[in-house]
Order: sequence, then C-alpha cells, then structure tokens
Amino acid sequence: MQHLLDIKNLSVDFHTLQGRMKALRNVSFGMKKGRILGIVGESGSGKSTVLWSIMGLLAPNAKVIGGSILFQDQDLLTLSEQARRQLRGEAISVVFQDPMTSQAPLLSYGRQMADILYRRREMSRCEKRGAAAEMLGKVGIPDPAFRLDQYPHEFSGGMRQRAGIAMALLTGPNLLLADEPTTALDVTMEAQIIHLLRDLQAETEATVAVVSHNLGLIAELCDDVVVMYAGEVVETGAVRQIFHAPRHPYTQALLECDPARIVERPARLPIIAGELPDLTSPPAGCIFADRCPYTLPLCRTEKPPVVVGTDGGLARCHIQSGAVAARVPGAVMPAASGPLARAANEAPLLETRDLNIRFPTEGMLLAKLQGRQPKGLDAVLDVSLTLHPGETLGVVGESGSGKSTLGRAILNLVSVTTGKVLFEGNEVQSLPEHKFKPLRRNMAMMFQDPNGSLSPRKTVRALITEPLQIHGIKERDLDREAERLADMVRLPRPLLARFPNQLSGGQARRVGVARALALSPRLVIADEPTAGLDVSVQGEILNLMADLQAEHGLAYLIITHNLPVIRHISDRIAIMYLGRIVEQGPAEEIFRHQHHPYTASLVQGVPQPDPDRKRAHRGLKGEVPSLLERPRGCDFVSRCPNARPLCHEAKPPHRGVGPHRVIACHFPLA
Amino acid sequence: MSVASSEPTLEIRSKARSARHAQLRVFLTNWQAMLGLVLVVIFFASAIFAPQIAPYDPNAMDIPARLAGPSWQHLAGTDQLGRDTLSRILHGGRVALTIAAIGVSLSLAIGLALGMLAAFGPRRLDSLLLLIFDSVRSFPTIILGLATVSLTGPSLGLVMVIVVITSIPQYARVTRTAALVLRGTDFVLAERSLGASTLRILWHHILPNVVGPLLILAAMDVPVVVSLEAGLSFLGLGVTPPTASWGTLLNEGYLVIRNSSWMVIMAGMPLVLTTIGFTFLAEGLRDILDPRMNRGR
Repeated sequence: MQHLLDIKNLSVDFHTLQGRMKALRNVSFGMKKGRILGIVGESGSGKSTVLWSIMGLLAPNAKVIGGSILFQDQDLLTLSEQARRQLRGEAISVVFQDPMTSQAPLLSYGRQMADILYRRREMSRCEKRGAAAEMLGKVGIPDPAFRLDQYPHEFSGGMRQRAGIAMALLTGPNLLLADEPTTALDVTMEAQIIHLLRDLQAETEATVAVVSHNLGLIAELCDDVVVMYAGEVVETGAVRQIFHAPRHPYTQALLECDPARIVERPARLPIIAGELPDLTSPPAGCIFADRCPYTLPLCRTEKPPVVVGTDGGLARCHIQSGAVAARVPGAVMPAASGPLARAANEAPLLETRDLNIRFPTEGMLLAKLQGRQPKGLDAVLDVSLTLHPGETLGVVGESGSGKSTLGRAILNLVSVTTGKVLFEGNEVQSLPEHKFKPLRRNMAMMFQDPNGSLSPRKTVRALITEPLQIHGIKERDLDREAERLADMVRLPRPLLARFPNQLSGGQARRVGVARALALSPRLVIADEPTAGLDVSVQGEILNLMADLQAEHGLAYLIITHNLPVIRHISDRIAIMYLGRIVEQGPAEEIFRHQHHPYTASLVQGVPQPDPDRKRAHRGLKGEVPSLLERPRGCDFVSRCPNARPLCHEAKPPHRGVGPHRVIACHFPLA
Repeated sequence: MSVASSEPTLEIRSKARSARHAQLRVFLTNWQAMLGLVLVVIFFASAIFAPQIAPYDPNAMDIPARLAGPSWQHLAGTDQLGRDTLSRILHGGRVALTIAAIGVSLSLAIGLALGMLAAFGPRRLDSLLLLIFDSVRSFPTIILGLATVSLTGPSLGLVMVIVVITSIPQYARVTRTAALVLRGTDFVLAERSLGASTLRILWHHILPNVVGPLLILAAMDVPVVVSLEAGLSFLGLGVTPPTASWGTLLNEGYLVIRNSSWMVIMAGMPLVLTTIGFTFLAEGLRDILDPRMNRGR
C-alpha cells in the first residue's frame, strides 16, 4: 500500500542544561494512505516529538540531527520555512489535546474558522462562513449557524473538542494529526469523539495519526500502531497484531499493565519495574534491556536488529522468533467477600448523612432584600456514605459530579451546607479549624496532581516530615522519620534531597503517599490517585496502596473517573452524577450487573484495549448538564435512553435493592 | 547504613550543584549582566569607601579654583565654591546607597507583607488595600514631596519616607497577584488538608515562591529610587547643603550651567551608570531565575 508519509531514521536532540538529550533516535515508520495510525507510548517515549517534527514546530532547543520525513514525495526537513508553512493547516493539520488552550479565547468560532481559510482569496466572507457552518454541522454541533458567533468559553468541553476537529478538517487536509485528542475529556465524551473521528475519517478518506498513551483509544480507533519507548520505535504492525500477538516485550508488558484488560481481581497489578533510561547517554544495547523480563547478555551490548514479521509489522528485539513464552498470569485473588462481611459487624469509621453542599451564586444581600433564599448551585446533593475501617470505597463520576467537593468537605476544606459528617461516630462537619486540626492526624488526603500538590521550593525530606511539624510532634527525629517514610513507600533515600520538579510522576506520587501516611491516619482520601501516571507506574502505586492498607488497616475513599482502576482496588463503589449518588454497592456486583442506566453506560463505555471488542453501542448522547440547570426530575433524564414521563417530574429517591445496594432510579434496568 | 546512604546523597548534591553551575554559566556569559554587576560593585565600593578614596574633603572650599573643568588636580572639576566635584560625587553616593538600601528593602518588606495579606486575608481587606495602593500610585510623587516638605522641612528622612510610601504599592501588587495564583493551587490545598495554619502556609510555602520576582523588581527599583532622591534634592526637598548628594550636585551645577557645564555632566554621570548597572543586573538575574527564560538557551 502506498505511504502518504514516510519517516526514515529521524533523530532529534534537545539541548538542556543537563546536556544533549537524545529524544529521538533513528525513528522510522510509514503512514499508509487513508488509514488511521496510532502512535502509542508512555511519557518520555518521544511520541509528541515525532508529531511536532512532522509539523516542523519543535521547541527552539530541539535540533533535528538526521533522517528524513517524506510527505508527498518531498522531504519536509529540507523545505524552507515558508514552504512548510504552506503545508501547515492546508495539507497537514492538528487536533490538539486541550481545546481550551489551543483555541483563541477572544475570537468567535466564525472568526477563527474564517481565519483558517485566509489563503482562499477566491472565497467571499459569506462563503467562508458557510463552509465553517457546514463543517461544524458535520462534527455534530447542533445549530451551527448560531454557534458560529459563540466563543470557546461558551462551549462545553466535548463541544470544544468537536470544534477543534472541525477547524483541523476545514481546509481538507491529507494528513490529520491528533495529539491525545480525548485526554482532557470525560469517559462518555471520549467515546463520542472516537466515533466522530472514525466516521469523519471514513468520509473524508484522510490519513490520520493519533498520538496517545491510552491503549483503549488506540485499539478502538486505529488500523495500524507504532509503539515507541524512550525515543525509539520498538514495534509496528496492524492493530490486531499488536494487541493480540505483540512481539516486543515492552508492548506485551504495556498491554498487561492496562487495568481495562484485567477482568479478574488480581492480588497484584502487573507493572514494568524500573525507570526510563537517561536519554543524555542512552545505553549501547537494547533501550528496554534494563526493564525487560527476558534480557539476554546480548541485549546489553548490541542494538537489536529490526525484524520484519509475516504481516509487514516490525519489531526491534533480539528474541524474535515468537519463542517468547507467555508470562504466567498473576495469581488471582478470591472474590472480595472479606471486607464486606467484616464491615457489617464493625462501627463505621466515616459516615456522611444526607450531605448537601451549596455554593451561592449571588450575594446574600440581594436575596434578603427580595425576601428569598439566595440562588446557588448544589455541588453535592443528599450524599449518604459509610466507610468501615480497612475498607476501600470508590467514588466514581465525571467532571462536575461533585466527587472532589465531597472529598474536600469531609476534610473540612469546603463548608457543608446541611447534613452530617461523622468520623468515628462524632459529628465533625463545619468545625472551626482549631477544633478540626487534631482530627487531621487521623485523616489525610492525596491530591490529584502528583507534582502540583507538592510545595515547589521544599525538598522531599521537608515535605514528608511537615505533618509532624504542623502537629508539633517533637519526640521523633525528623531525619530518621523521613527515611522511615521513604522506605515505607519504596522511595529511594537519595531522592529525599530533591525538589518536586526533579521527580517523575510516580516518584512524586510516592512522596504524596508518604506525606499522607506520616501521622499514621486511619482514613486516606485519594483524589484520582493514578491521574498523570503512566500505565506501567499506575500498577506500582495501586499495589503500594494495597500493601499499606493491609499493613496499617487504612480505610480509603478513592475519588476517580477511571472505572478500570477503581475496579481493582475498591470493595464498594458509589457512582455520582451531578452531585447525587445514583448507584452504590459492592464493586464486583456493580461491574457484573448495573441497575442504573448511567452506571451501565459508564461500565460499557470504557474503551477496551482489544480491537475485536469495540464498544457495541455509541455511549451516551449529549453532555453532563450544567449544575446551574439541574433538571427538575431525575438528574440523568436528559441523557437517559429509557426516560419516561415520571422521570421528568420527580427526583427518584434512594432505595435499597438487595443487600448493600442502593440506587436512585424510577425504572432500574432489570 | 549511614555509609551506604551518604554516597548517593553526595551524588545528588553534586547534581544540584552542577545545575547551579549551569545557571551561573548562563549569567557569566551574558555580557550585559556582567557589565551590570561590575557597575553595581563599583557603586557599592565607592560609596562605602568614599572617605578613603576621595581625593579631597568634599566640603573643603578653594575659592580661587572655582568652576574649574576636569584636570589632573580635580578629575571632575570643581563647583562655584571650589569644592572638588569627584569627592562630592563619591560622598553623594553614600546618600544614594543609604536611600537605595533602606528605602528599597523597607518598601519590599512592607509591600510583601501587605500583598500576602491582601491575597490571603478577607476579601474586604483586599479591596481596601487595593484602593489604597491605587490612590498612592495615582498621586504624583513630586507633588506628594512638595506637600509633605511644607509640613516638615527638607530632610533625608523625608526623602526616605516618600520613597517607601510610593514604592510599596508595586511590591504589594506583584506579591498579591503571585500569591493569588498560588492560593488556588493544589499544594496550598494539600497544606491546608494537613492542618497548616495560614501563617505557616504564607511563610513556608508562599514567600519562597513570590520572593524571586520581587528581588528582580527591587534591583530594577534601585535606580528609580536613586533618581527620585536626586530629583527631590534637586528641587530642594531632600538633602540640604552643604551635604553632597547627586541631586544637590545636579542642582548646583544647574545654577552655574552658564559659566560651566562640567558640573551637570559630571554629576549626571553616576546616576546614568548606576541606572544602567542595576537594570542590566536585574535583567541578567531574571534570565537565570525565571525558568521560562532558560529553556531556549
């Protein structure tokens, strides 16, 4: 098949203060015309560098030191800047990761899209507008003529990404590059965007390259896959080849690590031990040798040859003939009945009763003058939860579901409007800080952003011992304590002298865990504990959390949007939608059978890292409504596939269905 | 155990040191920054050691040699009373240094405190402080000086007070903006979840993060303050004769400009050089302290 784009031996260096970082080394692959290619890799793999090399928009400290990028029979690297600019936006265009930062905030979509067509002098302004409206319609934006006059902030996240795709396709490019196109979106939005990209590709016959770390997205969307690791291509092939019969150990390990592939609840999640090699002086042999389970002496001294498979795929590995023995799957843990059975007998550690959190959206004065309650939005509505010692409760929801607010309210960082928070049987909601402070020794929080939640000018040592200082614990030696905590979270001791920006995501997360556990709390609230981490590191952190739970009898309240992750660590799950819990129950049961249509669409909406198990249905239509426009009836009514008249009228009450299971739905799924 | 852990720690330290070396290299290869540094060092040294290096007593009159141009005897010439201009410039540098050191550090400290208070305090206090900052900023400095001098009479202390009052708002505003951004970050929330008091958060976590840009601002503010003193003294609101300051020298030179232009030229020179020195130094500092400026090099 003809290649639209051919990259040969592309090498790129970055000049940094630490020296020359060899970010790409001899990267070669081709993009077949009219197909979707996925470039998959973890952070530091160089996948984005490849993309920006194609566009010719590398950072100023990057230098292409060799190779060629052939596009329509011309080498992009030898073209003048002016000639490359002619191609950008016309023949090659990009869909960015975060539409909020890649779209001009002060220009309407109509204006931005007309600007993209600036080379088309023959088109009148009216025609440009027409073309823009047509394209917006194509990407599924209702009422495009009206929407053209709106600004990015008036669009919701999913709409914005649709508009981003419309902008990229407006000029009819031959090659469309998508950089993590769904990473900034919720699960239900992600499904919609994947389908949109597939449909549009089929219609326009453009060649698409998708850069992503998300294996599910790659499996669902792509025809061919390039796997990158530490600046090298380790394997290429058709999507089925890669996902069903991967030949490179890294590809195998990456697939094994994806929680969505693991259906049974294993004792330990698989991981890829070790770290990325230092790219200022990459190893002489195979780049993956240090972390590979099959390393031979040869691997450390010689670069592996590129071996062409029968299907045309390539792999760079010394062990090539397919003789690699399948790895023994991790021991499977028996169904999690222990904690649940135990829970019934023990007093709960944490309990919330009909918790409501309302943020006012107008001043008290105005409302008082008019003699009514001030307007506001309900971030959390009637949430009742219990958490027993040693138990893990997963709170799952999309953005705007109020899950983070709930976690913060429990820790008294957000004030509670009505309802109760009981910790060890005592009411603790809305206590003044000086009364709440002693309680903080027993409850700790891990925040979403692993690096961002660490004070940037403090060393790791100072950070993890800070809780001791805050609570005035003087009898323990801080240095010894720092070492104890570092050992506990398996953080190498030399890292204690580092600053947060010198840590990788996984290391920073370990520091966060160590700080949370410094005072041996009984409850840990973890907000997206795996956010910002690579797949191979996610498992490490979750295993660590499980070990510490077993050792110290911790109770976890885990807040996340990531269903596959929560499945492996939670005893029970609560699903939140627009601030309300719609379904609650034991994790395994919820995954086996969903009563609430929203839960069902979430569970079935997880992208499967298996090209043959593409999502059967298109996921949910529409988007999460704004909290300001909460429906009068059921919150989910606008998106529910089986809404009936009653659902528009009345909020479904919470009711028990079987043991340990509570739902809020008028017409639960059978 | 200690033996095992001491080795890697050393390695880490040397790594941190090499990063610092790299920053230093960026600074050393920047000719503007180096020129700035040299000028600033000269400014400090000449002000501190003025009594030792000045060739004459700054107040010793030599009427026959009045209004002389530069010569080997009087390198910068003399004024209408025959006083050696170079000696007077060197001694005037002491006034400038005092004002710069005390005025800038005082307004930096107060501005920093008020800025953090505005960012982390109640919203009403924030509005009130902003109102005060804006009022002070919108008031012309010279008019403020004229108004106060009519109450108290001219003095160095008065110049200092005016310098501090007029510079506080800029430090406070920069601090407030930076602190407001930090207030919304995850790490501040994380500190609160650990039970850290607002004071602790401000001192340990906000201060180290806002102080960098403020130091650069301070370096850029020094020439402003020095010329403000010169300006006020020129108008007769600051240092009173016979004390030498760069402003009074300019003033005296201005009065005799018809007879000899040397004095104005010579008295203006240190002001120009100090301004250039601190500005270049500040820009160099910004280049090494601001990580965003580092990337492209």
